[in-house]
Amino acid sequence: MTREAAKEILSAFRSVEQDGADPAFLEALEVQSRDPEVKKWFEEQNEIDRMLREKLTQISPPEQLHFQILGRIRRERARVLPPAWLALAAVLVIGGLGLIYSLGSFGPNRFREFRRDALAMVSVQPAPKLDMKTPYLSEAKRFLQEHQAPIAQSLPPALKSMSTAGCSAFFWQEHPASLTCFKLPNGQLLHLVVIDQAAIGNGKIPASFQSEQGWHMMFQQKDGLLLMWASQAPMEKLKQMLVET
Amino acid sequence: MPANADLECIVKEFYAPLYRFAFALTRSEAIAADLTQETFLILTRQQAHIRDVTKIKSWLFTTLRREFLRGLRSKTSHPEVELKPEHQEQLVVESAAVQSIDAITILEALAQIDESYRTVLELFYLSDLSYKEIAATLDIPIGTVMSRLSRGKEQLKGTLAKAASPNKTFKSGRAENPKR
Repeated sequence: MTREAAKEILSAFRSVEQDGADPAFLEALEVQSRDPEVKKWFEEQNEIDRMLREKLTQISPPEQLHFQILGRIRRERARVLPPAWLALAAVLVIGGLGLIYSLGSFGPNRFREFRRDALAMVSVQPAPKLDMKTPYLSEAKRFLQEHQAPIAQSLPPALKSMSTAGCSAFFWQEHPASLTCFKLPNGQLLHLVVIDQAAIGNGKIPASFQSEQGWHMMFQQKDGLLLMWASQAPMEKLKQMLVET
Repeated sequence: MPANADLECIVKEFYAPLYRFAFALTRSEAIAADLTQETFLILTRQQAHIRDVTKIKSWLFTTLRREFLRGLRSKTSHPEVELKPEHQEQLVVESAAVQSIDAITILEALAQIDESYRTVLELFYLSDLSYKEIAATLDIPIGTVMSRLSRGKEQLKGTLAKAASPNKTFKSGRAENPKR
């Protein structure tokens, strides 16, 4: 391989981590390892490439672009979903699957899936990823509204004046959902995951508190929504806040 | 194709490099943001038809570029002016000189590069695509990507060398932004 051919191939080389194992570069890399001129050219080119990339990364997208994209995606999904649901409903009726549905064998599985996924999301350490960080519940609610995520309209009185860590809007299996994290006085977090009841089917939702791997959970059904409360705070504390107030 | 949660992960991972690529193409924050949003909307609509998730990155850049060109084609009154290689002075920039140049100056330098080289360079620097992904994005052979990168980088060095010199003058060779 000539010097010029090696240089041409090495012009497409990004980094050892990204392209070091690509066989297309092996021969050209070998040339540069034994030819001082090509080696010098390659090192200089790599340095220029690295600096150009680094500087171009300084071009920042508009602050709200990420959320605007997510918002448009959610609106698009919401626009597209109804026909899909109508089609699904037709299939259910025609296939007689309504019987299975009415027997409740569909609901509990969906519920278990949701419970598993939601718990996995909130139990991320040190804290779940939040789209918006704010101490104000009103701001979190506004964000969720703007992103067309479901919101619990009525909250236990003890939580209404409590600071939040923030919130996220996301989708669970095609259904819009929201996460709001409250900051408890002892520093621990209380997570509220909200999703349309329809996402879970009509399975039985447990009425009592549940515990799993140090997490305490409670489920409520309100205004067509399923609310999942989850925290590592003591069970008694949660009962006080969520049930007894 | 990814589930919804994955779609949001894709947005998070790629919206910034896509925006930078769009900005390099359009030199307009608003149009770049619009192009980026439009690209993800198309992904949302077409996700059921995308079989190979590993190619999602090049699919996104391909789609954004196609949307940009579609907008550009609709605006025929501003033909693109290319700076031919023979018109350029053979200056060579050194890495130390690049250190003093900012991102906008680099974009201006890229805009002066011959169009066929420029797009390959923009994908190389702004999207961090591999030469194979660039080939797939532009639908050109791998060897063509390598030779364009090689020649394009030489042109860019010459343009940056002029930019780094005190009496630099830049004239954008990029076509005007497509009205969208």
